[in-house]
Amino acid sequence: MVAVTILAAAGDGVAAVPAAPVSVDHVNVPVPAHERVTLPNGLRLILVPRHDIPLVAFNLLLRGGAQLDPPGRDGTAALAADLLTHGAGKRDAYAFADAVEGSGGNLDAAARGEFIQVQGQFLAQDSRVMLELLADAVLHPRFDDGEFEKLRARRIEELKAAKDSAPQSLLGNYGRARLFAGHPYGRPVGGSEQSLAQITRADVTGFYSAQAGADRATLVIAGDFEPARIRRDVAAIFGGWQRAQNPLPALAPTARVSGRRVLLVDSPGSTQTYFWLANVGVPRRFPQRAALNIANLAFGGSFASMLNQDLRVKAGLTYDASSRFTRGAVAGDFAITSFTQTDNTGRAVDLALATLGRLKHDGLDAAAIGSARNFLLGQYPLAFETPFDWAVALGDLDLYDLPESYIGHFGSDLVATDASAVRAVIDEAFPSPDNLDIVLIGDAARIREAAARFGPVTTIPLAAPNFSAR
Amino acid sequence: MSFAATGAAIQTRTLANGMQIIVWPDHNIPSVALFNWVHVGSRNEGTGTTGLAHFFEHMMFNGTAHRSQGEFDRLLEASGGSNNAYTSQDVTVYQDWFPRSTLELVFELESDRLANLAFEPKVVEKEREVVYSERRLRVEDSNPALLNEQVQATAFIAHPYRIPTIGWPSDIKAWTLGDLQNFYRTWYAPNNCTLVLVGDVEPAQVFALAEKYYGPIPRGPATQPVRTVEPEQTGERRLVIERSGQNPLVQMAWHAISADDPRAPALNLLQTILTQGDAARLHRLLVEERKLAVEVGSGWSEGFDPNIYSVYATLAEGASTSDFEQALNGELARLVDQGVTDTELARAKHQVAASFWRGVSTLDGKARLLGEYAVLHGDYRKLFTAPGAYERVSAAEVLAVARAVFKPEHRTVGVLLPRAADGH
Repeated sequence: MVAVTILAAAGDGVAAVPAAPVSVDHVNVPVPAHERVTLPNGLRLILVPRHDIPLVAFNLLLRGGAQLDPPGRDGTAALAADLLTHGAGKRDAYAFADAVEGSGGNLDAAARGEFIQVQGQFLAQDSRVMLELLADAVLHPRFDDGEFEKLRARRIEELKAAKDSAPQSLLGNYGRARLFAGHPYGRPVGGSEQSLAQITRADVTGFYSAQAGADRATLVIAGDFEPARIRRDVAAIFGGWQRAQNPLPALAPTARVSGRRVLLVDSPGSTQTYFWLANVGVPRRFPQRAALNIANLAFGGSFASMLNQDLRVKAGLTYDASSRFTRGAVAGDFAITSFTQTDNTGRAVDLALATLGRLKHDGLDAAAIGSARNFLLGQYPLAFETPFDWAVALGDLDLYDLPESYIGHFGSDLVATDASAVRAVIDEAFPSPDNLDIVLIGDAARIREAAARFGPVTTIPLAAPNFSAR
Repeated sequence: MSFAATGAAIQTRTLANGMQIIVWPDHNIPSVALFNWVHVGSRNEGTGTTGLAHFFEHMMFNGTAHRSQGEFDRLLEASGGSNNAYTSQDVTVYQDWFPRSTLELVFELESDRLANLAFEPKVVEKEREVVYSERRLRVEDSNPALLNEQVQATAFIAHPYRIPTIGWPSDIKAWTLGDLQNFYRTWYAPNNCTLVLVGDVEPAQVFALAEKYYGPIPRGPATQPVRTVEPEQTGERRLVIERSGQNPLVQMAWHAISADDPRAPALNLLQTILTQGDAARLHRLLVEERKLAVEVGSGWSEGFDPNIYSVYATLAEGASTSDFEQALNGELARLVDQGVTDTELARAKHQVAASFWRGVSTLDGKARLLGEYAVLHGDYRKLFTAPGAYERVSAAEVLAVARAVFKPEHRTVGVLLPRAADGH
């Protein structure tokens, strides 16, 4: 159906070119040959040798992450991760940075909700140095007191600075604090100004010694190396890493909210309103993943999507409107995000709600489904170009216990997805416009009235040191 | 195979209408990156029409004589392609990433909008609002961007690098249809474009498609060069913005060099030494040791004409901007007196080399670098001599470029002082 539309519109010159790849073999991205080894201490090692460019990439994932932050100390895992690269083993913070940068490498650690990741890339000739620095960071972090104080102060200032430069980047923190209140998904991964101020160095060292361990880690190494040698080096360097003290606790399920309510974050003088409309979506292991990707792409995942067409292209209300699912071990959020000139706030939110209502009521027609499917088929190979891409992708599969076919058969899964599967996903995964948590960051004096139309309003100042009204 | 040898597969062609085409076959994945580098940016704008180059970046997606608004994206996405575009002071670049089976459709769509763009008054009015929304997002709700706009406009008094690429608000509101048509006729011509393709293609196939789709488009008029040369600055300039917010900001800028200046590799190595990474000199001193800033960065825009080199910093709430300025000036004085160490230079060279390899590991990165060298440095082949050029830079050359740039009388200092938001 779609192909016919394109050929007719694009004229004779295009007639010879099929609009979509036809063979299922061709649409799939082959997963490169790799080996998996589990060390006696439980560390899972995945090796992906590729020799096209002289780089070696790594991705170390440590299960746990910000979900394990102590109560009231949001940001503990994030500070611990930060500090891994600020002094480790025999090197202080400067010597560590000098060693990484002096060999042209990079090595960055960050906490996420469900894991801590340490990633980087070095020139192939420096792969041994790379492993030693990585092991120092993960096994022998110093958590130096001075570095701790400096980083904590800096993270607090960065949150303040984000309010002056990119308020939209904080929408998710405000929204999740309310949508997932009482659940780990509601905590800001990087902490709030208030929670960071409470954290002590002992919180950080206590967290890391309790939560880090070889049996919680997956290390993927991809690129230009000789597997036997790297296997030997990893066994020698990481073999002494202890197991974690306790098993990883399971996450409680999350629950959808009913009805609508509004959190108004007051930013006096702001020239536009940034908004977030959300409810609980689906988990990472949601079985209808191809249909979900098709439906979200068509609704709010591309320039030609329904949301961007309605709010930007047709109405000129915004520069950007989009939607996404955040999917973890349990269901994360589905959120629509956009922004508009202050005086247009009510109109833009109305339009986003109407567009969501249209999706829920009418579903997607065959042309929209075909277009989204082809877009995903065409773009998917671009996500798997480099060794670093594969280090990230294979680590992710291991973390969520997903099969290789999650990547390798995604193309054929897309081709096999029909309209009824897409309809089922729209019914199951997308919220009704009547059941949404709404966050508006904007000038409260000018938008309070419009906000009240969408549900009961709670107001907090943008300058407040945390992300919730409590 | 050496990097230079992989570059030997590149082929180029110039059509009779002056359009330049560069093709780099790369069969790693079944995909293609096509970038059309249009040689126009905000430096080609004048009073009353600032922001027009950027506005075209938007209008180019809004329909042609043969296609309605939105069809470009709908057709491309339905065939597996994605696209984007960006505008700088020097160039406007249209980017498509797509499966190889979509190659001909992309030529068809791209050539159509180069030759037949529509100017529907209603569409123009709506897009004006979209661009204004982008300006609010990127500039008016962002203190660092607002400060940068003012520093740029203060450092340049004559050269059009003083113009913000997104345009002054009154101009965004006031362009006429005639301004748009005139701009399109002047700048969107094949002889003003460099088309770069990287990916799963063969040069012969690309050149045949280029002849078929771009060949019939007539050559445009010769474009007017930017004649104005910024007069030498003879004393420090200073500006202060007071605005609601929490963190003070400082941006210091000095008149520097153009992309094709032979000292460009030395200046990029100096930038790496000063602010690239946690071991970098200004980060160590100002953020880690003296704790005068939360974050410090620096850089310059490599363009056709000499642009400014900026050091910018975010300070902690309540921190003193004059303490920061004093420490920065002291360190720069030490730099132009004593230069950089061999250790610093060796570290910077390794960082630049690794970053280069990361850059050429994707189709997107290759298309970007190839275009930058072809358009801004004058010859794509310089991409393949760049690694050697960086390797050969001496500490004396880094010192020389530091002395040429960091002159107090060539400095513009911008400070943003926050004041507490007025409560309601």
